[in-house]
Amino acid sequence: MICGKCNKNHATVHVTEVINGVKKEAHLCEECARGAGVGIKFSFSISDILGNLVDAKPPGKPTEKAAQLKCPECGMTYSEFKSKARLGCANDYEVFRAGLIPLLEKIHQATQHVGKTPHTADGQIKKENELVRLKRELDSLVKSENFEKAAEIRDRIRTLEIDLSAGPGAQRV
Amino acid sequence: MKIDDLLQQSGEWLRGSGPESDVVMSSRVRLARNLHRFPFLTVAPPSERSAIEAFVRERFEQVLAPRKIHYLTLTRMSNVDRTLLVERHLISREHAQGEGDRGVAVSTDESTSIMVNEEDHLRLQVLRSGLNLEEAWESIDRLDTTLEQHLNYAFHPRFGYLTCCPTNVGTGLRISIMVHLPAAVFAKQMDKVLQTLQRLNYTVRGLYGEGTSPVGDFYQVSNQVTLGKTERDIIGEMRKVIPEVLKFERSWRHKLVEDEPRKLEDKVWRAYGILKNARTISSEETIEHLSSLRLGVNLSIVQGIPISTVNELFIFTQPSHLQKIERKVLETEERDVVRADFIRKRLPSV
Repeated sequence: MICGKCNKNHATVHVTEVINGVKKEAHLCEECARGAGVGIKFSFSISDILGNLVDAKPPGKPTEKAAQLKCPECGMTYSEFKSKARLGCANDYEVFRAGLIPLLEKIHQATQHVGKTPHTADGQIKKENELVRLKRELDSLVKSENFEKAAEIRDRIRTLEIDLSAGPGAQRV
Repeated sequence: MKIDDLLQQSGEWLRGSGPESDVVMSSRVRLARNLHRFPFLTVAPPSERSAIEAFVRERFEQVLAPRKIHYLTLTRMSNVDRTLLVERHLISREHAQGEGDRGVAVSTDESTSIMVNEEDHLRLQVLRSGLNLEEAWESIDRLDTTLEQHLNYAFHPRFGYLTCCPTNVGTGLRISIMVHLPAAVFAKQMDKVLQTLQRLNYTVRGLYGEGTSPVGDFYQVSNQVTLGKTERDIIGEMRKVIPEVLKFERSWRHKLVEDEPRKLEDKVWRAYGILKNARTISSEETIEHLSSLRLGVNLSIVQGIPISTVNELFIFTQPSHLQKIERKVLETEERDVVRADFIRKRLPSV
């Protein structure tokens, strides 16, 4: 099919418009379609998709509250976060936490870090992360019926839990 | 270290000496890190970017100089020089084309680089020849631990290392294994590999990362998930997946050798013939034939050409390398002539 506008190139963009019940069809080449401003997408960036994954408002918050949500440190608003799916500063992870958690769940199927921690992080954080990691290991060991190793891990979890409940900041996470 | 020094050497990871290097070209690990108390680059105004760069540079001088890692500022660097760093796999295309104060610290053996003010304040990278994730991880982990004692990283007990984009948060760890799959491509079996890997949450991209189509049968396999797993878990899972890809490619290589030896030999020798005799050759054609030659060398169809020579030709025949070697700006047609001359000189007669 030849482009209906320049009558020269091969038509690869097919547009159907319905205005007041009247259906109009156009067959254009890429160049003419771009010239006519037809909404075609030639590039695809990850931030486009990510933005769509962010909820319009954080769960459990009324829309008007979400609109007011703004980071006092970097000035980023919830709607900017939603459109870019990028964060402006470390504090945004707290400010947009409620909206961020479902997004992280979609991307990583997880919301809790269990990897490396900086030396500067206190021992408490390290223990808490270790606890999450061990609990996950326990689950998979039970699933694979490796009960001997599971019992060993369960003991380590108990020790850690006692340790954590005795220490300061035990309520965290 | 100066940019021109790079022309007198080649990266250690190109030697082709690592494990499984008949299929795996390189293993790359990357860590995304941001500094505590500085805004992320999404919102940082130019003055803040400069402050971040200056702060990091000062700390780097104390920490990295003894490790033979040297800082290069990109802000006033020529376009050709910046692209040279991309061709060398030391910085990303985005970093080369970016704006504002930014730079990269590069180790003299080119195995380590740290981009400053790319998408995140810091992007650490370690490259190794072949499938060598453990060594790459140990090296980057040590570097990261050292840096962390001099720079305060943005870290959150729940979310881990904080990054500008939520796709990198947590460990900030992205592993990319560059695999050469000419037989799978030749047998039109790549769909199977791509589909399976994507189902397992791995990204597969062309040679030069985001937004590019695969060139010369090279693919980059990387992990998508960075949060909720330990670094060792992420590496361990990759260590289980890649051997399957290797097995697949090798089976198809074997099948080609068994079923269609003439066709395969013809493909390899034609590639050698063109590379050894052409008087003008485009970058795409070069990569295509180098890919066939690489397969031929690995299957011992061609003997007497070191694999490192083939690997280096992939890098040195790119536009910025040729222009730096010739010390002048070259138009496309001129480059094609220079490229053909360069290949003829470098490629041994067999």
